[in-house]
Amino acid sequence: MKMKTSAFWLALPLLLVSFGAFAQSTPIDLEIGYRWTEVDGNEDLYKTQINEDDGILIRAFSLSSNDLGAFDHFRIDASDLGSGPAGSLRLQAGKSDLYRFTLGYRERDVYSALPFFANPLLGQGVVPGQHTYDRNRRMIDADLEFLPGRKVTPFIGYSRNTYDGPGMTTYSLGLDEFRLRQNLDETEDELRAGVGFNLGRVYGMVTQGWRSVESTEDLTLAAGGNAGNNPGPILGQPVSAADITRSSETEVDTPFTNMFVTGALTNRIRLIGNYSRFSAETEGSELEEGTGSFVSFAISRFFTGIEETVTSNAENKTWRGGVRAEIALTDIFGLDAGFRTESRELDGSALIDTLFQNTITFSGVDPRDVREILEAESAMDREEDVIHAALTARAVGPFTFRVGFQQAKQDVTVMPDLSEIVVPGNQSGEFERSIDTLDASATFAKSGFLLGASFRTDDADDPILRTDFLGRDRLRLRAAYRTPGNMFRFGVTAEQLNQDNDREGANFDGEQDSLTAEFEIAPISMLRLRGSYSQLDAESTVTILRPEILQPMTSFHEEEGESIEAGISLAFKRFTLDADMIQFENDGSIPFTLDRNRVRLYADVATHFGVIGEWANDDYDESSPFGEYSADRYGVYLRLK
Amino acid sequence: MRPYAIGGLTLLLTLGFMPGRAAASPQEAQQTPPAAAAEQAPAAEQAAVAQCSDCHETVKTFLANPHARGEVKDGQVPNAVCESCHGDATAHMEAGGDPSLVKVPRGLEGSDSTCRTCHDVSTDRRSHQFGVHANSEAVNCLSCHSVHHAQPRSAHLLRLAEPALCANCHGTQAASFRNKPYAHRIGRGGMECSSCHEPHGRPGKENLRLTKAGEVPCLGCHAEVRGPHVFPHGAIAAGECTSCHEPHGSSTPKQLKRATVYQLCLECHSPMGDSTLGSQPPAFHNLNNPRYMNCTTCHVAVHGSNRSPALLK
Repeated sequence: MKMKTSAFWLALPLLLVSFGAFAQSTPIDLEIGYRWTEVDGNEDLYKTQINEDDGILIRAFSLSSNDLGAFDHFRIDASDLGSGPAGSLRLQAGKSDLYRFTLGYRERDVYSALPFFANPLLGQGVVPGQHTYDRNRRMIDADLEFLPGRKVTPFIGYSRNTYDGPGMTTYSLGLDEFRLRQNLDETEDELRAGVGFNLGRVYGMVTQGWRSVESTEDLTLAAGGNAGNNPGPILGQPVSAADITRSSETEVDTPFTNMFVTGALTNRIRLIGNYSRFSAETEGSELEEGTGSFVSFAISRFFTGIEETVTSNAENKTWRGGVRAEIALTDIFGLDAGFRTESRELDGSALIDTLFQNTITFSGVDPRDVREILEAESAMDREEDVIHAALTARAVGPFTFRVGFQQAKQDVTVMPDLSEIVVPGNQSGEFERSIDTLDASATFAKSGFLLGASFRTDDADDPILRTDFLGRDRLRLRAAYRTPGNMFRFGVTAEQLNQDNDREGANFDGEQDSLTAEFEIAPISMLRLRGSYSQLDAESTVTILRPEILQPMTSFHEEEGESIEAGISLAFKRFTLDADMIQFENDGSIPFTLDRNRVRLYADVATHFGVIGEWANDDYDESSPFGEYSADRYGVYLRLK
Repeated sequence: MRPYAIGGLTLLLTLGFMPGRAAASPQEAQQTPPAAAAEQAPAAEQAAVAQCSDCHETVKTFLANPHARGEVKDGQVPNAVCESCHGDATAHMEAGGDPSLVKVPRGLEGSDSTCRTCHDVSTDRRSHQFGVHANSEAVNCLSCHSVHHAQPRSAHLLRLAEPALCANCHGTQAASFRNKPYAHRIGRGGMECSSCHEPHGRPGKENLRLTKAGEVPCLGCHAEVRGPHVFPHGAIAAGECTSCHEPHGSSTPKQLKRATVYQLCLECHSPMGDSTLGSQPPAFHNLNNPRYMNCTTCHVAVHGSNRSPALLK
């Protein structure tokens, strides 16, 4: 909240100064005001899904000009800065042939507190679940390019991404789970520099970057969390925690390189080559302390305290490269073909020093501390080679065609880790998969009519994950019509996706059908009506192993969604009205209804001044307990232009 | 950088050009592009030349149009800006504005012969001629961009705000953002379709806009799950975020692909049939017990851990 307030109050004078300076000669538009929120029902669920809050808001701001002294182009666009939950500002400024500067700022309020997620106590009426957070994400991107449009254009850039705030999580210790308060603070900085070049027939770009991430996470036992989730004793021993603290620090350094070069051999043939790599290295340390009454099957003992230190290192070395040719066979027909390869090597090691304090065997003898030192290692390699070719016909009369083929070969190797705590099994080994893809599309476009069909089929020889398809077909059909001047527009899109892995034991079968039809009509210039209908039917079945009885069962997921939308835009004299409504009903695995209404009325009071009123309403109703809310937001904004 | 630093930086930039508005420096004049230099005839001579803006009110919109960058002087848009797309308009003017005597780029031919003369870059992931939105009868530059009637608050001279523009053809995806309870906030906070997709990108996965380091776009924002971890979740390391998450709108919390977490996990972690990655025997957790219905209650480090192979912390 502090962040939102400071961002708003510091952006405001900027915008007003800008307005005052240029309102006379420069296109400028500012909407600023206040929003009120009323929520009935589960406010946590509302904040998780929508999270619009009370407060001052710069609803929108824009300023642009090509004649502002030191800049021959200058533009600011901002929206929803202030009470959030998602605001942004983008600035572009520069002088042609000399420099170009862009600055982007984005802020998000990220909230999650669901009643039925990670909540073993839902049946007892305890909400929300045990995994919640209330965090802010702020992202900045600044880029400065010198000599744009010249043969050589150096550039530098900087980005920062911060993510911080409190949360709640659980921790599994001593055969129980305890609620912990969590505080996360993560900052990522990225610096990059490079050069673009354009020598006519040959152009390209090289970028070298450095990214560093620093992350700290502190956890403490939450008030009231001492008893854990398990109400009963284990082997006659009650399990509880008196205190748990854990803190971890992580640093990641990632140098990266990107480059591409494009060369025109002739007016009809281009060759494009690219190479990129990054090497990310993590260094982590953790310290954990806990006291209470715990049980460990790993050491077959009861214990009353734990101290654990962890130092860890992990690497991700990834590179990819490729070359392809774009060949304009004629003005109409073209061929695009190439090869690309990608390699990813993941390695990690951790030294885990655990001291179990005041232990005693399950039979109540041999009291002592037990120290366990574990050196764990992991390694995973993934390689992928792809060849592809496509033939296109851009304009055969009113028709457009494309036929393409691609073959991807994937190879994943996972090294076994002898120290693994999990039950030994199939988690290591080499997994290979080859996927052949054929796609074809045809489009007819003439006199405002558009008819399009595209089909894609994938054929794989083996799965790597159980839910990987062996066969997948996707069909998309679209028909549309628009009159000149957009007085009337109509479109309908139908999509079907089928995928399966019919190997015994998996029996994965997924099907998804969707249909969307929309229209827009402006019977008179001041009135525009719109509406749409959407339908989604999805079903998925996979055989899974029920863990407690080791018997197969079917995992079934279903969605049957249907939505109707309608909207109106009316401009009458000094008034403009925009209103939209959505009704969505889903009868699938999570049945719910969602109604959304939006109204925005603008009154043009004077040449440079107007007033805006906004109302937004969301009604969400889910069949599960505590899964409903009704939220109204009212906003009043002044518009200066 | 704190938010106020952003405001401060922007403020400095804004204030920076205020004193310089009166006149362009000699140095700036030297850097004027050739097209504009042709317009810098003596004032009297220039006054005698008919201006496009004399008849076409729309020329005023070019005071802020990217195509007039570096060309606007003293609030005037020189004819050269218009002629860069519409060609020499002398005959058009002499004929009293005969529309047949000036080039008006439209459709595929207009895009090919006008837009692509400057905007035709092919990179490893972009291609104006062979991308998913390659210039064709069905889709061309002018289907999405409007040089004269762009949506004022959209970048890149888009005809409409980006979500509405893409929805014109990709209605199913657009509807999932509007209608589903769990979705990325498209159109707000700088999140657009093009945050993840490259509109001029090539088909398939080449259509995704990678981070500067070359990772999938999800990691551009969700840096906290990027790792690398000592024990990465195999589905991420070998697959993609979309193994578990719906990238657009979703009916399920966390935009997961299944309504209950144990379903999602056990669909991979079931040792049946082929040997597949991650299909090790599960522990004997009783799914009838609410404690075990949501695997992530214990396996909290589901994206990867530096401590626990079982992703417990």
